[in-house]
Amino acid sequence: MAKESVESGLTWEVRANSCHYHKPKQKKSFLCFRWGRYADNLLRSYKYSPLTFLPLTLFEQFQRVANLYFLLMMVMQCVPAISSIPWYITIIPLITVLSVRGLKDLANDMARRRSDAQINSRPCDVLVSQSFSTAQWKDLFVGDVLRIHKDQVIPADLLLLCSSEPHSLCYVETADIDGETNLKYRQALSATHNELTSHPSEEALAAFDGVVLCEEPNNRLYTFRGQLHWRGECLLLDNQHILLRGTVLRNTQFAYGLAIYTGTDTKILRNCGKIRVKTTRTEKVFNKVVMGIILSVLLAALLLAIGSGVFSSWVMSHTGVLTPLVVGGNPIYTGFLIFWSYIILLSPAMPIALYITFEVIHTVHSKFIGWDLEMYWPQADKPAQARNTSLSEELGQVGYLLSDKTGTLTQNRLLYRQCCIAGEIYGDASVRAEDVEPMDLSWNPFSRGGLFMSAPRLVETLRGQKCPLSIQFFSALSLCHTVMAEWKEEAPVYQAASPDEEALVGAARELGWVFLSRTRDFIVVSELGVTRQYQLLALLDFTSQRRRMSVLVREPEGGLKLYCKGADIVILERLQKDCPYQERVEKALELFAQACLRTLCVAVRSVPEASWEQWSKTLAQSAAMETCDREAVLEKLYDQMERDLQLLGVTAIEDRLQEGVPETIALLQQAGIKVWVLTGDKKETAVNIGYSCKLLDPDTRLLEWQELRQILQSPDPGVSFSKARQTDLWVVDKERAGAKTAVVLSGLELAEFDQRPEWGSTFMRLAEQCQSVLCCRVTPGQKADIVTLVRKHTTSVTLSIGDGANDVNMIKTAHVGVGIAGVEGGQAVQNADFALSQFRFLQRLLLVHGRWSYRRISLFLRYFLFKTCSFALVHIWFGCFNGFSAQSLYEPWFIALYTVFYTATPIMLVAFFEQDVSAESSLKWPELYKCGQRQELSSPLMLALSLLYAVYTSLVLFFIPFGVFYNTAFDYQTMAVTVAMAATFTAIIEVVLVTKYWTKFNVAAVCVSFVLFFICTRITHSTRLFQRSPRDYVFIGASDKAFVNPVVWLTALLTAWTAVLPSLTAYALNVILTVRDKQKVHSASNQPMELRSQMRRGTSLRRSSYALSQGARPGRHIISATSFRSTVPTVDEKVTASNNLTRPLSAFK
Amino acid sequence: MMASSYNAKEEDGHHSGASSHGGAGAVKSKKPDNTAFKQQRLPAWQPILTAGTVLPAFFVIGLIFIPIGIGLFVSSNNIKEFEIDYTGVGESSPCHSCAKNFSWNSTTPCLCSVDFTLEQPFESNVFMYYGLSNFYQNHRRYVKSRDDSQLNGDRSALTSPSKECEPYRTSEGLPIAPCGAIANSLFNDTLELYHIDANGTSNSIPLVKKGIAWWTDKHVKFRNPGGNGNLTVAFQGTNKPVNWRRPVYELDPSDSENNGFINEDFIVWMRTAALPTFRKLYRIIQKKPSSTPTLPSGKYVLNITYNYPVLSFDGRKRMILSTISWMGGKNPFLGIAYITVGSICFFLGVVLLIIHHKYDTRNNSADIPN
Repeated sequence: MAKESVESGLTWEVRANSCHYHKPKQKKSFLCFRWGRYADNLLRSYKYSPLTFLPLTLFEQFQRVANLYFLLMMVMQCVPAISSIPWYITIIPLITVLSVRGLKDLANDMARRRSDAQINSRPCDVLVSQSFSTAQWKDLFVGDVLRIHKDQVIPADLLLLCSSEPHSLCYVETADIDGETNLKYRQALSATHNELTSHPSEEALAAFDGVVLCEEPNNRLYTFRGQLHWRGECLLLDNQHILLRGTVLRNTQFAYGLAIYTGTDTKILRNCGKIRVKTTRTEKVFNKVVMGIILSVLLAALLLAIGSGVFSSWVMSHTGVLTPLVVGGNPIYTGFLIFWSYIILLSPAMPIALYITFEVIHTVHSKFIGWDLEMYWPQADKPAQARNTSLSEELGQVGYLLSDKTGTLTQNRLLYRQCCIAGEIYGDASVRAEDVEPMDLSWNPFSRGGLFMSAPRLVETLRGQKCPLSIQFFSALSLCHTVMAEWKEEAPVYQAASPDEEALVGAARELGWVFLSRTRDFIVVSELGVTRQYQLLALLDFTSQRRRMSVLVREPEGGLKLYCKGADIVILERLQKDCPYQERVEKALELFAQACLRTLCVAVRSVPEASWEQWSKTLAQSAAMETCDREAVLEKLYDQMERDLQLLGVTAIEDRLQEGVPETIALLQQAGIKVWVLTGDKKETAVNIGYSCKLLDPDTRLLEWQELRQILQSPDPGVSFSKARQTDLWVVDKERAGAKTAVVLSGLELAEFDQRPEWGSTFMRLAEQCQSVLCCRVTPGQKADIVTLVRKHTTSVTLSIGDGANDVNMIKTAHVGVGIAGVEGGQAVQNADFALSQFRFLQRLLLVHGRWSYRRISLFLRYFLFKTCSFALVHIWFGCFNGFSAQSLYEPWFIALYTVFYTATPIMLVAFFEQDVSAESSLKWPELYKCGQRQELSSPLMLALSLLYAVYTSLVLFFIPFGVFYNTAFDYQTMAVTVAMAATFTAIIEVVLVTKYWTKFNVAAVCVSFVLFFICTRITHSTRLFQRSPRDYVFIGASDKAFVNPVVWLTALLTAWTAVLPSLTAYALNVILTVRDKQKVHSASNQPMELRSQMRRGTSLRRSSYALSQGARPGRHIISATSFRSTVPTVDEKVTASNNLTRPLSAFK
Repeated sequence: MMASSYNAKEEDGHHSGASSHGGAGAVKSKKPDNTAFKQQRLPAWQPILTAGTVLPAFFVIGLIFIPIGIGLFVSSNNIKEFEIDYTGVGESSPCHSCAKNFSWNSTTPCLCSVDFTLEQPFESNVFMYYGLSNFYQNHRRYVKSRDDSQLNGDRSALTSPSKECEPYRTSEGLPIAPCGAIANSLFNDTLELYHIDANGTSNSIPLVKKGIAWWTDKHVKFRNPGGNGNLTVAFQGTNKPVNWRRPVYELDPSDSENNGFINEDFIVWMRTAALPTFRKLYRIIQKKPSSTPTLPSGKYVLNITYNYPVLSFDGRKRMILSTISWMGGKNPFLGIAYITVGSICFFLGVVLLIIHHKYDTRNNSADIPN
């Protein structure tokens, strides 16, 4: 057996109720050694333990090149031979940086620990020696038998053994896995069901000694392969028998399961991508620039060191007072030391303060996001939250928005809004659902509210029984479905596999046609208070090919009726000839489509008894046929029955969008962001939502897989693509065709991309020209793969937004992950960088906060670069005039205080408060956002220009004072003070030029910096400090004399002015050239934002669909589950397990 | 002229926000505060700059800088300055022999004298400088090579000078006072100035050697150990710098206020120069009470006690006589720089004006069809 199982890949062995077997094999780890096989059920998302915190955090932090560099600087400064500035100038900021970072990481880790602990201590019932006792999730083990209560979250991947329901069926909600809130059914093997439910369950379960052989843990959510070896039998297991961790048990009193995978082996945790450290694009560019600076500094230091060597040998060749300046009389050794000295001296070009300031600015930006009232959701009392504080500027550069559908774009609430019966349209979709006046339905004892349609006329017609068509219409709605009713408090509660059906049956109930219950053979309906029992003869299932479903019923009066509902195209072509109202119905369909409603056609056919008998015979015959043929035969048979239909009417259902979704998407698209939708839902639903949220226009050409495949395979995809667009029937305006194409893909099709990696880039090139891309039926892993695809083949920033656990992976993979803090499930938010309460807040997050943040941070970085480089590079030029000796041109204290005290506050306030245009204007002019996508402010070119400007400034800073002080009686200290003054003035004038938004704080900061320079300079040059430590404060009296010297002032002012002249000229040029646009933006406050309606009436494409979440025929389960006759026990269990299709047909026997 | 918008945005809804807080009662709402700061609606002044405001700035700055430059240039030109190189490089120069036969150890000073003529009389106080070229007084190892604690009169530093002073820290087992390369290389030429009047007699011109150092240097930074009393005792146990001929307490034995570490020549030397070519104030020639110029035009003789070798490192020694104005000594560079930068500003203003004009007309014409 074991050998066989190895061959088939089923190597994961789980023995029920045998703790002693699994325990020794538990996965354990010590330091970096891991052994064992079975993971425990403990969730560990934290990184540090008390022991490992310090080394780990230091290791992580010194992975940042900058930190390592600073550490090196500090060590070097402690070496007296090369120290050109005292060591304490670097250590204080370095320690601050390390501890701030470390504490932040620690706090995050503690939060993770807390949330882990909360999950780990959730209760669950574990079978211990014949009785269930409550244990915590973390104590759970592979092989344990569990009892799951109704509405409990399933703690591990379980094999369903049996449940309290008939046939051991049970229902799970998989919202946290695929985002779908409708229920899925799982069914235990009939073997376990039969054996384990017959006894008192505890005893039977405790005696259960089956061995499960299955695949190794993997991340495939929708497949499972395994065998259950029990009592000498080998039973096949598939996905139907598995309850996944994270799903919720619904509508089932109890379910008993055997833990197969626990903890990190579970499918959902396997689907969670690794924690990635996200760094922003700006930061990356900036890091490159920093590397560039470091390299340039090294190069400069090398050149200066060579200069020093040459100078030293020149000194050596002359005897004189300077000979001792050459260390050990060896010019090469001197040069070597000078090299390091210059590295230290030039290191302020890349100051450590930058990283502290950067962190602070990011934190403040995050705070602003949390403080924004416009992003506060009063209903849930939730403000927006920036969970990752270091990504705020990335929000200003988003190029691709990848959105989940359910719960993000839609509320996952389907509302019955309109219908058209016999050509009459009832209800008005132009009224918002909330504003619909509720109808008086008090006459209906089953009414429970929830009908957002106001049509008193319809009620009148129905109650008066004036129109036979409308009566039939609602009969159809109450009969033709796969919904099941559960009685709670004297009223039926509907459980449907599809929210569409639930809405339809619910609407029928409100209007008096109440579906009460069903058995295998009968459907009981209360029609306006009269209970009628219909005999269910056949249920013609829904499939995505057929796009319709029908029921064949015998009316209590004896007549045979076929009720059919389905997509309009399918139904309309099966109507009897000269069907009345057809034209009016088609018009209604168009109207509904324009209102973005989902439509279904409802039709009826009276079936003669004779034709039914013949048909049922054929059906019974075909049921016995081989599988492959049977499908086709059945299809044909069904087709025979569903014809000559009489059209009853059309239903129109609204898939409630989240508030403001179409407007937000339109605005984001105007801002140049590509919006993609990735959903686990059906294609029909996804496309429908695409239309209703204005992602697709009515005339958008949908490019599906077959066509796309051809294009991708063709030698020249670009040409094929444009050809494909031009042959488009719907596109009238060929030039706009590019923007009017959307790609629709499904998960299976995406899987082909794995095999054909070369398609990725081609696809992305095509997708770039498309309006949008919709991906349906994708797994969480695939969602992440799509994000990766976009990341790999474009340079744009991607943003993922989602609300469920199924979006976690994509949220983690994208540059920026946004979680919608929905009603349930905090998984997405836990893993997101930003948490919002509503999708529409995204526009403010991106267009206002993101844009500002990007602008502020770009300005900050460029200014900081300029400021520090211009300040430090002076030493290179000075080096040429002091024998390349690494003599500093500044007082050491000035070096320490310059970046932090004199120049940091104003630019920090700019980085906090700067607004080029107000929030309102940002939203009014979404085009302004494109500046961030193109990286206009932080491109390498811009940073290089800043550097170039810094070099110019450093030249000015040195050579003007040089000219003034050359061959004069001014000493070194006076010159140092003059250059320091000029550098400070330059930095201050430059920040004044950068600031466009002068709050009182900005004004104060500039003034304070200016004053602080003079005060601190006077203090460090004061007598008192000198007397305390003469060696550290050698500049005593230098500023007293310099500050009263007109030449010093005139030099400093001239230098500063000359230094900022290029910046000023660029500024003026900018003002002259762009003044018009700016005035336009500033003065445009009165124009109301117009949402450009991209709808084109008349060309609209009808959208009629019907979506079921679980593809394969739900009807069979309904019939099999609700029949109180046990299914025919088959001898060969293997066949039963693998081939469920035999079962529904047994109903027709 | 300055177009600007002051948008003090109203804090609308502030009160309603406050009341809702009250209503929430015990349950603390997470609703963000509606303050101008948190909502990023701080009142701010947003200058909307137009060409009309930016361009004049260039002209104004240009118009300010050019007169300043002219003023500086004129006042610099009004300063009378006389400079004479007495290094003795040329064969014919008087100090040639002294320069050639230099040795630190020679006991007899080498004397030479240079004749020169002042074409114009020097009025008011005249400052006498010595200038050195190609002397890297700003070399880091040189600049570092001193002990400020020792110079400040610290007794412990006197006996154990800082390591920075190496290799001039100790000599013959005794600590050097003052230690370090700067002190060791003290400029030790003596310059004397004689005026040759019409009948050929040479009159010594009184050179004031006090008041040439900074006040803070003289009174705070430099102090003799144990006050200015008996310096010989105070400096006992120390050795003189290697290149010095006299110990530090004999720099000016005649004046105890100018001896030891607080000798002004020494202090001036210790205030290192910024650049390799520099001047240092040597003496002041005070103006005479009568109306006669301080240095009338005519013939002069500069007597030099040639002690300081510069030829070994291709250096030069100069003697400079200069009057001063409000801006100190002669400095033509600053004036020229101001005029240049002012002109550039003005020129940029013109260029920007042209661009503005062109862009404006093009834009206007483009606007018309709209």
